[in-house]
Amino acid sequence: MEVVSLAGVSKAFGSVRAVNGLSLAVREGEILGFLGVNGAGKTTTIKLLLGFFPPDEGVVSVFGGDPRVAATRRRIGYMPETAYYYPYLNVRELLALYGGLCGMSAREIRERSEMLIERVGLTDAAGRLLRTYSKGMLQRAGIAQALLHDPDLLILDEPFTGLDPLARIQFRDLILELRRQGKTVFFSSHELSEAELICDRVAILKQGAQVWCGTMREVAGDGQQNLERIFLRILKGDAGGMS
Amino acid sequence: MSRCVRQLWALSVLSVLELYRRKDLIVVFVLASVILLPLAFFAPFGVSGAGRYMNEVALLLVWLFSAVIGLGVSARLFPPEFESRTVFPLLAKPVGRGTVLAGKYLGALAASLSALAVFYLAYGVLAGVRQGVWFGVVLWQAFLLHAGFIVVLTALGLLGSLVLTASANLTFCGLLTVGMLAFGQRLPALAQAQPAPGRWVLGVIQWVAPHLEFFDLRQRLVHDWPPVGWGVCLMVLAYGMAYAGVCLALAAWVLRRRRF
Repeated sequence: MEVVSLAGVSKAFGSVRAVNGLSLAVREGEILGFLGVNGAGKTTTIKLLLGFFPPDEGVVSVFGGDPRVAATRRRIGYMPETAYYYPYLNVRELLALYGGLCGMSAREIRERSEMLIERVGLTDAAGRLLRTYSKGMLQRAGIAQALLHDPDLLILDEPFTGLDPLARIQFRDLILELRRQGKTVFFSSHELSEAELICDRVAILKQGAQVWCGTMREVAGDGQQNLERIFLRILKGDAGGMS
Repeated sequence: MSRCVRQLWALSVLSVLELYRRKDLIVVFVLASVILLPLAFFAPFGVSGAGRYMNEVALLLVWLFSAVIGLGVSARLFPPEFESRTVFPLLAKPVGRGTVLAGKYLGALAASLSALAVFYLAYGVLAGVRQGVWFGVVLWQAFLLHAGFIVVLTALGLLGSLVLTASANLTFCGLLTVGMLAFGQRLPALAQAQPAPGRWVLGVIQWVAPHLEFFDLRQRLVHDWPPVGWGVCLMVLAYGMAYAGVCLALAAWVLRRRRF
């Protein structure tokens, strides 16, 4: 079953074409790495998937519905690239806010919050205001809020940014555990090594268009190439022979 | 609780928490209380009628501080969300933009009306001590209409917060409030006295700007005049609700069209 479907999607901001005829499908239970350099159109694609704005052309569908409809987003968890959270709240209050927005009861929020705060290692800092958090701690809070309502699809924008090596490993394990639970993960990243470790498939974006998409088995291929080599060849415009 | 009520509650709590954690408005609130209470016991030079003057000063302060709090909360509802991009994770949740708007408005309204209730409680005690009249009908009417004023002001501030920066919004709404309270009643006469282009401009202002002076019963309180008819009160409140409704509908339209 396709969880995410983009069919011929284009989006322009003035004269800049941020996404250009993008077609992509993400299947249930898979981890898809969405790779590209800065300005390739990754974040715009994510915003389209979250229904922040409609595409100029093409169709965006999540769980078969339009993500601009609030009900479609009930099964989506989103973690932004930079931790954009309210500095005057503590992590419990932040989760209470987002839990309320997801329609969760006070009891559900309390139980899930405590479990997730412990899971992301913020128990000792749970009473502190977010403005006192480091970047890595804010990323952990971001992971907790994305998982709060137990979503079936996780959309993660540069999730490894700002995490220390230990937190990276913990987060990587968490993503793999989510896949084992049948969740679908769509994440954008520049971190090719992380993508190589956890992705089932990767799609590479260049100037708003998808230039390569394949499974990690295809990346490994003849044993001569890794994701970094493929990525570099594509960026240099030499994608010959790649599907 | 239904999903929508939970969402509205969560957003309202956010607005109230922001007001509480941002110390500047708390300072305004404490300052207002500290200024108001001594006025109850201050008898300047034993001059007859000076008490009435002190009541007028106290009411002016109540109006000033309530407007500062109402505008201070509502004018900053959205600009920080856009600047710090907290709006992204907010809108990624399964919540409609109309609900976000309503929740934030209700939070701002709850915070502003709570402050207003405390101010009127202080003023009621002041008037009771000074004049021996404890919470008369006029005071209740004044509070009710003042609440209507806050309903309009916060809706206006919310609409402005979607299209202006916080400081520009505060300035615009502040000037509009002072202008309408001072000249609102005289607008038709002023318009008639002007040559053609000025008359048209003032005519448009007369019909478009909120007539905040309708909500002002200060003179009745100060001079112990009789209460206004409840029918008039209800009509003014209905006007306030309708004006706030138009502002909120416009705000919903702006937010729905906004691209992030």
